[in-house]
Amino acid sequence: MNTGPYSNEKVQKFIMENFIPLKSQCLWDKPTELMQKFEIKWTPTFIIHDPEGKEHHRIVGYLPVDDLIAQLIFAKGKIYFDTDRLLEAIAQFQTVIDQYPNAGPAPEAIFLLGVAGYKHTHDAKPLRQAYDRLIAKYPQSEWARRAEPYSAIPLST
Amino acid sequence: MVEINWERDFKTALEKAKKSGKPIYHDFWFDG
Repeated sequence: MNTGPYSNEKVQKFIMENFIPLKSQCLWDKPTELMQKFEIKWTPTFIIHDPEGKEHHRIVGYLPVDDLIAQLIFAKGKIYFDTDRLLEAIAQFQTVIDQYPNAGPAPEAIFLLGVAGYKHTHDAKPLRQAYDRLIAKYPQSEWARRAEPYSAIPLST
Repeated sequence: MVEINWERDFKTALEKAKKSGKPIYHDFWFDG
């Protein structure tokens, strides 16, 4: 039975089109092999694995529909980023920023968009643009602080 | 309407992921 966000048609379609969905039950009095392998300490915990099984993203705690979809798009971006498929990573991060600006991963998506842009072009301007964007939209976020070193990068060449 | 067709076995999910190229969305849940 699909309950909570899983009862939402948009979530159902997104998960089925983009992922292999896997559910593993947790038993606190007798932790399962998978709970131990992935060090699960609270539920719900969501892990995004690449097709080889490697973990790229983890979320702990309940997520409403838009936050869940934003996290899943962001997780796809992280898989691409981690495997140096930078243009595909950029597309996923841009989607989070454009379509889910109020969702949890949006500030980190801006940060990683800047990093992926820099790695792809070898031009530092995307890093500075990430800083400017974070200061403008998410000035209180940790990601704005992490981007602070990029504030000195000139935008004009 | 598309129902989510959950896998329950990690190895089966891995095989399907390798075959399809899709990542795995792994939900650890507790029914208590």
